[in-house]
Amino acid sequence: MSDVELVSIPGLWAFNYNYFAGANASRFFNELKVNRRIMGTRCPSCERVLVPARGFCDACMEYTTDWKAVGPEGTLETFTIVATQFPGLPKPPLVMAYVTLDGADTALINLVYGMDLSDIDAAAQKLNKLPRVTTRFVDDPKGRITDFSFQLL
Amino acid sequence: MSQVAIVGVGQTPYRRSHPEKSSRELIWWAAKEALNDAGLGIDAIDVIIAGVAPDALAGEVSVERSGMMGIGKPFIRVNTGGVTGSSAVFAGASYIKAGRAKAVLVFALERMGQASSSQQVFNTIFDPVYEKDFPLTTITMAALRASMLMRLYGYAPRHWAEIAARNAQAARKNPLAHLHNDITPEDVLKSPLLAWPIHRYEACPMSEGACALVLVDKSLVGNRKPAWIQGAASTSDSYAMGDRIRRKGATLVDLLSLSMSAKRAYAEAGVTKPVKEIRVAELYSAFSSAEAMAYPALGFCESADGPRFVEAQATDKSLPVFNPSGGPQGANPVSATAMVRIAEAALQVRQMAGARQVDGVERAVATGQGGATQFSTVCVVGNKPNT
Repeated sequence: MSDVELVSIPGLWAFNYNYFAGANASRFFNELKVNRRIMGTRCPSCERVLVPARGFCDACMEYTTDWKAVGPEGTLETFTIVATQFPGLPKPPLVMAYVTLDGADTALINLVYGMDLSDIDAAAQKLNKLPRVTTRFVDDPKGRITDFSFQLL
Repeated sequence: MSQVAIVGVGQTPYRRSHPEKSSRELIWWAAKEALNDAGLGIDAIDVIIAGVAPDALAGEVSVERSGMMGIGKPFIRVNTGGVTGSSAVFAGASYIKAGRAKAVLVFALERMGQASSSQQVFNTIFDPVYEKDFPLTTITMAALRASMLMRLYGYAPRHWAEIAARNAQAARKNPLAHLHNDITPEDVLKSPLLAWPIHRYEACPMSEGACALVLVDKSLVGNRKPAWIQGAASTSDSYAMGDRIRRKGATLVDLLSLSMSAKRAYAEAGVTKPVKEIRVAELYSAFSSAEAMAYPALGFCESADGPRFVEAQATDKSLPVFNPSGGPQGANPVSATAMVRIAEAALQVRQMAGARQVDGVERAVATGQGGATQFSTVCVVGNKPNT
């Protein structure tokens, strides 16, 4: 069998989908679009304000109750600086981080702007000191998580 | 409850791709080898458990169809991301412990060599509502934890490089490993930066291959060479990484699910001083930071002593040997990786690990990490059954 010419058959997955965000995430997205604010929901059991908003607390198995606006400022908790291009993903360099917005108990992920990335190691040292950030909205919010990003203060 | 022994291990080599084998042939290769090792035919097998993680990595939907062996047996497919392989083992062991089976064949297949970009596929495993628009991948997910470990516990880039180089050197003794690169910590630090702080030589390769185990009830062990499953535990955690960053008691990098699994598995196995009682640890660590997070979770050191624990490994030979197979940094067939850890731990206690055999292994531990670490498994195997 060692001299057999091996066959490989080309394949392509290109299925179209529409991901249903559900009523809670839809309200979160509408708040971004209409009021340009970031909302969390409170768990009545552990009392954490969960951001981004969701309909239940998976740790306590309870429905969340009141909605609360958080931020716009917050603390950058942990980050990475993407330095290599991967197919189908955004062009580097870029900073992606978890930020706990003021008034929130959980962190949410987004891109961070306002860093000089010409020296990545130096930028990393700065980012690993819990820097403060603020939320910056795009000019024309669409009701998506990409309507905002974080800006270093 | 019945006691379970691993009496058959089968592994294909792990390579970037196996164009000479179809998916069926890869599974069959590992399964046949495991059955031969156990000295059992397919008719002796009561149940088959298949472990295959996301279909999109292979580009084949319902790829478990490639794992049909024999006729007339219960068959279950398991998918829990990175812990797919160990979840399959635990599902099989549960049948035996419950007295519903005497012999179970478990296998796991990774066919990601068919994908032209694994990171593009890995982006689709995240939440489509809040997360998928960001460059979240397995690499960046690990990087977000590594930077937090550096801030909290003082890890430096050289610690990541030392772990990566040690695993690379170990992989050179393992003919089944995907990579056999002779690299130093300096080489790791000089390799291209993927996502700070992760350099290319620290990242696991994308590998394909299959692994299979034959698990039997104590009554079938006879004169077969067993690795006894002394303790096994699988534990879940919240999915959202952001929810765990400030969580009191166990932050994102404390690996709550792994430490809970370790406590439960150790209690079952009677392990009270892991650093003394475990000789070999096969860790699910696709990146150096994942290995570092496992040390305190498995009770090998305190979190704050992690960097010193890495440094001590070079000189203190009384410490457990980590990843003598090279671990996932030497080969990462994702669906199979957590089963490979158990397979390698079993080979060590059966004294069948060839050039990578560690002297005097009576007990070894194997871990699994899945998803955004919301799944963790710990499996303690030994050369004696529990008393």
